[in-house]
Amino acid sequence: MSDHLSSVTLNALADGELIGEQLVRVNEHLAECAQCTSSALAQSLLKSATARAGQRYAPAPELREQLARLAAQEGRRAQASYYRVAWGLRSYVWAALAAVLLVSVGLFVQYRVQRATDNARLASYTGLVTEVCDQHIATLAANSPPEVISSDRHTVKPWFQGKIPFSFNLPQDLPGDTALDGANLTYLHSQPTAQLLYSIGKHRVSVFVQQRSDAAIANGVMVNRTGFNLTGFHTDDLEVVAVSDVDPARLADLAERIKKAQAGVEGKPK
Amino acid sequence: MALLPWKRAVPKSGPQTSMFEDLALPLLPSLYNMAMWLCRNPADAEDLVQETFLKALRGFALFEPGTNFKAWSFRILRNTYLTSRSGLAAMRTVSLEDELEGRDDLGPRLVPEAAIDRQTPEVNLMRLSDQAALRAAMEKLTPPLLEVILLCDVEEMKYREIAAVMEIPIGTVMSRIARARTALREMLRVNAPASTSNDGGTDR
Repeated sequence: MSDHLSSVTLNALADGELIGEQLVRVNEHLAECAQCTSSALAQSLLKSATARAGQRYAPAPELREQLARLAAQEGRRAQASYYRVAWGLRSYVWAALAAVLLVSVGLFVQYRVQRATDNARLASYTGLVTEVCDQHIATLAANSPPEVISSDRHTVKPWFQGKIPFSFNLPQDLPGDTALDGANLTYLHSQPTAQLLYSIGKHRVSVFVQQRSDAAIANGVMVNRTGFNLTGFHTDDLEVVAVSDVDPARLADLAERIKKAQAGVEGKPK
Repeated sequence: MALLPWKRAVPKSGPQTSMFEDLALPLLPSLYNMAMWLCRNPADAEDLVQETFLKALRGFALFEPGTNFKAWSFRILRNTYLTSRSGLAAMRTVSLEDELEGRDDLGPRLVPEAAIDRQTPEVNLMRLSDQAALRAAMEKLTPPLLEVILLCDVEEMKYREIAAVMEIPIGTVMSRIARARTALREMLRVNAPASTSNDGGTDR
């Protein structure tokens, strides 16, 4: 029995699953074995018989129409669902775009305002520096005595009473070669200003004191303009600018002393 | 248009459904026939086909074009049947029978060579021409054996495709086919004298 083809082989033959060498070997065996040939034929007959018998049920025509309708409905449902998602997504996208646009416009406006403010402040600051230098140079060129001549701070300070709308304090202790020569009433940016005149050795120093404005010079910054050094500081109410051709360190020392003097009695608007 | 990507995706759903219908509707007779053999009643069979159709349509995006759509559809049908109430009940019964008859992976060796039909083709032809007897025998096959015979003989699927549909190895397919045909031959032989031939037409 073992010489005969197995049922699996006979089935594979009937089902057309044998190929190449396998098929050749089986065909060679069938050519010599009548019993296996008969079995192979029986398998083929059974296969074709079950194929016919198995094809037993046919769907009702309505089922086909029903499935076609179902497919159409499902297509519409999927599309509607898609549109819902797409529209939802679109509204989110538009909202996000609007938000981005608003933020961008806001930032741009803020940038423009800030830039305009900065430009105005820079122009005002540049103008102040120019005017301070011009005033100092004019004072040196006039070579005229100050409006109040005194080395006594108790004389100079009261002299400004009624002339300027603020008060300030003058340092008591000055370095050996530094002296208060007097003061003038002047105007910077059309604002009444006290011009204090000091001497450091043979160098003349002008210290301008006025009410604080937007063009305040940053504290302790030393600026050089046409050979003159400028430095200054500001308090809550006062702005002080010192200008001279003296060594920057000594000018800074004088400015620092005046600044410390304000710590006791700050200039208050009258 | 990159800003509005959904604009490009919109037209997909229409043609996709249409393509699915073009592929699926011609398979309806085969799917229904299989469903009827499994469920044994028209209402359940129609429900099974309808559910299979919906599942296939919804999952059509996952179907790889160029691969075997028929095998894919039959696999969905079979899985849908297996998860149905009648399918679960049938498979539970079958598992026990399989245990008693022998495991699939040992199949080929367990098919007795004596069961191979060694009768003359004329005798076989006479028996096989009795469609009613053959259908009655097929109805007595367990679902796994019936499935494999229907897919192989009726749907003319290759072993490889049957293995994909039933999610079993090809060796198991071969052993089940051998067992199914042996069982059919045995039933036909035993019932041959009593069978009548009055049910040769289509049932619906």
